[in-house]
Amino acid sequence: MTTMTRSGTPAPRVPRQAPGRRRHPRRPVWEEPPTAPGQAVKGLSLTAVVLIILVPLYCVVLTSLSTPGAINRAGGLVLVPDGLTFDAYETMLSGGPIRRSLFVTLGITVVGTALSMIVSVLCAYGLSRSRSLGHRFLLLILVVTMFVNGGLIPTFLVVNELGGYGQYWSLILPTAVNVFNIIVLRAFFSGTAADLIDAARIDGAGEWHILGSIVLPTSRAVLAVITLFYAVGYWNTFFSVLLYLPTESEKWPLQYVLYQYVNLGATVPGQANSGFGTGAVQIAPLSLQMALVVLTLIPILLVFPFMQRHFAKGMLTGAIKG
Amino acid sequence: MASTLAPGDEPGVTSPARRRGHRRRPVPPENRLTWRIRLRRDRTLILMTLPAIGLLVVFTYLPMLGIVTAFQFYDPLVGIADSEWIGLENFERLFGDPLFWGALENTLYLSAVQLVLYFPIPIMLALLLNSVLNERVRAVIQAVTFLPHFFSWVLVVTIFQQMFGGAGLLNQFLRDHGMGTWDLMTDPDTFALLVTSQVVWKDAGWGIIVFLAALTAINQNLYEAAAVDGAGRWRRMWHVTLPGMRGIIVLMLVLRLGNALSVGFEQLLIQRAGVGHDAADVLDTFAYYYGIGTQDYGYGAAAGIFKSVISLLLLWGANALAHRFGEDGLYRS
Amino acid sequence: MNVEPSRRSLLNGAAALAGAAALSPLLVACGGGGSGNQGGTSSEQGLASALPDHVPSDAVTPDIAPVEGAAGAISPPGFLRYPTERVRTVPEVPGSGGTYTTLTPLWGAVPPADNEHYRAMNEALGATLEMAPSAGANYGTVLPTLTAAERLPDWVQLPGWLNAQASTGRLVGTQLADLTPYLAGDRIRQYPNLAALPTGAWRGGIWQDKLYGIPVHSGTFTLGGMFYHRRDIFEERGIDANEVRSADDLFALGEELTDARAGVWAFEELWPFIDLIFPIEAKFRVVDGRLVHRYEQPEFIEALDWCRRIVDAGLLHPDALTGSHNDDASKARFYAGQSLITADGGGSWNGADADAGRAANPGYRRGCFMPFSADGTSEPRLPLMWTASWYSYLNIKLRPEQIEECLRIANYLAAPYGSQEYTRITFGVEGTHWTEGPDGPRYTEQGTIEAQPGTYVFLANPIAVVSNLGYPQITEDFCAWAAEAVRYAYKPVFWNMNITVPRRLATADAAQAVEDTISEVSRGIQPVSAFQEALGTWKRNGGDELVGWYETEVLDKLGTGQE
Repeated sequence: MTTMTRSGTPAPRVPRQAPGRRRHPRRPVWEEPPTAPGQAVKGLSLTAVVLIILVPLYCVVLTSLSTPGAINRAGGLVLVPDGLTFDAYETMLSGGPIRRSLFVTLGITVVGTALSMIVSVLCAYGLSRSRSLGHRFLLLILVVTMFVNGGLIPTFLVVNELGGYGQYWSLILPTAVNVFNIIVLRAFFSGTAADLIDAARIDGAGEWHILGSIVLPTSRAVLAVITLFYAVGYWNTFFSVLLYLPTESEKWPLQYVLYQYVNLGATVPGQANSGFGTGAVQIAPLSLQMALVVLTLIPILLVFPFMQRHFAKGMLTGAIKG
Repeated sequence: MASTLAPGDEPGVTSPARRRGHRRRPVPPENRLTWRIRLRRDRTLILMTLPAIGLLVVFTYLPMLGIVTAFQFYDPLVGIADSEWIGLENFERLFGDPLFWGALENTLYLSAVQLVLYFPIPIMLALLLNSVLNERVRAVIQAVTFLPHFFSWVLVVTIFQQMFGGAGLLNQFLRDHGMGTWDLMTDPDTFALLVTSQVVWKDAGWGIIVFLAALTAINQNLYEAAAVDGAGRWRRMWHVTLPGMRGIIVLMLVLRLGNALSVGFEQLLIQRAGVGHDAADVLDTFAYYYGIGTQDYGYGAAAGIFKSVISLLLLWGANALAHRFGEDGLYRS
Repeated sequence: MNVEPSRRSLLNGAAALAGAAALSPLLVACGGGGSGNQGGTSSEQGLASALPDHVPSDAVTPDIAPVEGAAGAISPPGFLRYPTERVRTVPEVPGSGGTYTTLTPLWGAVPPADNEHYRAMNEALGATLEMAPSAGANYGTVLPTLTAAERLPDWVQLPGWLNAQASTGRLVGTQLADLTPYLAGDRIRQYPNLAALPTGAWRGGIWQDKLYGIPVHSGTFTLGGMFYHRRDIFEERGIDANEVRSADDLFALGEELTDARAGVWAFEELWPFIDLIFPIEAKFRVVDGRLVHRYEQPEFIEALDWCRRIVDAGLLHPDALTGSHNDDASKARFYAGQSLITADGGGSWNGADADAGRAANPGYRRGCFMPFSADGTSEPRLPLMWTASWYSYLNIKLRPEQIEECLRIANYLAAPYGSQEYTRITFGVEGTHWTEGPDGPRYTEQGTIEAQPGTYVFLANPIAVVSNLGYPQITEDFCAWAAEAVRYAYKPVFWNMNITVPRRLATADAAQAVEDTISEVSRGIQPVSAFQEALGTWKRNGGDELVGWYETEVLDKLGTGQE
């Protein structure tokens, strides 16, 4: 018969390990101690992976902090510190209506992610029962949209006809459903605790109850992943702003406001000979671009630890005995 | 439950793979039920899908009417209703266009290279990360590896340029040591490798997180049981971890195959000038340059339809293949 | 010198979205594209009856007087410092209380929606202009969606180089208002600042015999670009740039300058600007009353081959090979001294450039090669760009009195450099946005945020001048160069003529496949023979038909536009 325990396995755990072992408190007692060569190979490959990513990242951060002189001497991304300044960040964060756009972005991200998650989780669960009526047809409806789309102008016309031009919802609703995310959710939903669900149904539990008390609690990792996917998407909202809110600057989200500074150094036709060079803020465009990249990464790094918790190994201890 | 882990045996894990057992059951009774009864039974489930379906109908299916422009000499100013209908002319032009076939060939080639060289990497990384026991170290590494996902393609290409370009670090080193130079960024012959390594650098770290989620869903008791049965580290990975992830791996593979005709639009657009359109044009850039770029919207739409149809066929084929091998794929067969 | 939209800026990564049409330098000059199934242009009589009179303004006297050159081109006036006596050119408040929505591109940070500069401007105008600057790099992507939904604002900037994407040729008369009844002939005299704009600039605003567009950034001596060098490094090494008198000289100099091991290459990409030394005519040359397309002119292959040899000899900076996807990068290499000779738009020679260059190297100085011809013997020929590459249009939904109000506002916005109105538009409110400096107004911090971004200039502005406040030397160098170069100007065939190619020929007109091949040959990826092959295919698939169409429909009926 099927039972589920949420608090660990009945297998005995060694309550306190030898002091030398405390470096790996999570290593189960049945797992062999690591071998030296194995550890070395693992350590080396992980270090290599991290370095391959950190070195360019270091260049990016350094360039964002470099003076125009340093950047122009380097002729590109800066590799060696040569003159540091926070000008790029100051310009980006002080020049425009940053605070309002930050709230706009937070609002769009929270509302959008919540909406997307509700809609997606419901849809994924609704399709997760392999013998339910019409699920293949509905799935087909979803899948087709991954490969066919009407293009930019028809989409714009529809949103415009619905009165979305200039409205916040035009940044959320058209992109609220991501079929890839639904399919991933669905795969996990139909993968976890299927036998439990069968049992619950036989006991007469309703679908809402099963979803809320069995499926969601056992799917925390994938829910965290999909939430992150959606949240990142909304946080970076950019192109739909250009289409639907090009003129309503008080409704612009952060990424769009910041993006404008990236354009700052572009040759401004017709302006170059009429007064520039006096009182103009002299910041290398490249450092602004890199500062934008860094500013994009910071919220991700801030949110990540919260998500990371859901990936704890063995967190899900739904043991199914059969 | 204590499975004996003989090679080739199916371990009983709580993974999608396991529920293939359902298929072997006798004919499910519901097939004999009328749809009316099934509707009453499943109406909650159907109801749950409606919000998502509704949004798709409005914001994706309605604009999809736009694809009829493939049969038009489409002019966005007069609209679809008043544009001139030209039947299959756009498709005839398309299939007679050597540039189109070149783009298709490049697409399939790049896709195949990426499938072989890129696809397994996030899985291997996920396994590697999963084997790190110290949670803090693991969190840091994971956070670092997925940062490049948030870099724009322009930035990624710039970074590669500064490392491997004709004036980059690698070539300056070669010059300093009197060796011949190799401009990786403008070499059409190795372009597929370049593009793939850029994808690996940018997205491998991001790609692992779905697999990590799959790893957390594996029942820890199975490892213990396997260990008790004397299975070593590698055998546990082979017989517990991989089967546990198999459902997700196959699903990702099926989706990847369905998307085989979409390879890095922006990435290739940026680097097209360096290696030339012969090496860099894929279906998406082709539609962009020769369709939208020259206001030949109907032509671009025709290329788009072609791509959609082939993609759906690929997806269907990949899924059918998955079913043949007893996997769920997109849905259970 | 007018600052034309730098081709390079069109090529940078983000701008790639603006569409491949913009990638073809040809289209910048031909301004036609996907309009009207029949196609067409203006007739000579139609043109004459739609053109406004030209009444030059003498409101402000420059420090360096303009020089009249060939083909009616006049070098731009130079100002070493901002005029201290700021004349008033618009005595009455132009507006009558109307409110108008606008849309303009902007390269930079958009000012806050409701700011003191806008408020002061509205007060001065006596009307409310709702300014809506939109990201310049994506402007071409947004326009087609707005026109398809008929959502154009009351007053919109449609750059000439986006005419194909925006379908300007067919928006006129359907979504954009005909200004002929208000401006043609002597009617423009009630708008003296508009009347001071050169006639050629208005020609580019005429579509099918009617005047629609108000020119922006006009100038009679506008070149596609110039050949620059690092003057400081040249002087240090005792190289006299003026000794370069032929393509061979330039090539030889490139060999002398290149030192790959030291990380120095002679050249940035020169191909997009090659017409300045090789006598290729864009887009046609008239030979015995027939049109010879640019691709088929003998100098074209010669120039292509020369560019290819530069690549083969390793004189081009390797990063330039991977494309102009990053405009900033090519400038940065020039500043860093990693490349010493570059070709770029006229707008890259100014105070901001000096600031950026000197930040890297205090001695930085940009110099410009004197015009020369590839063969070293014939007279150099510099093809003029259109007199204006930017046009603003009024919405057809406006009532006549609203159009008149907008034109009065345009007249205000076109007030000459140094006037009271110009100072208000460009610098804002004294004390709030700017303070008086030694050589002219200096922006305050608030001014940098609110007034400095170019917003109103895209609706209407005066003829271009050269002024680099704080850098009189650059203005002097520039004007001296222009005074010499203006003697070599010529008007290309179909200059300033809005030609609407029939849609069935639009693909041949864009010639994307040939342009791709050309770009690849010039970068050494493909042999010259690949170009000849692509050319043959193009000629068969509509190219010859296209040239024929231009001959019968444009050349035979309307002439060359060169006068």
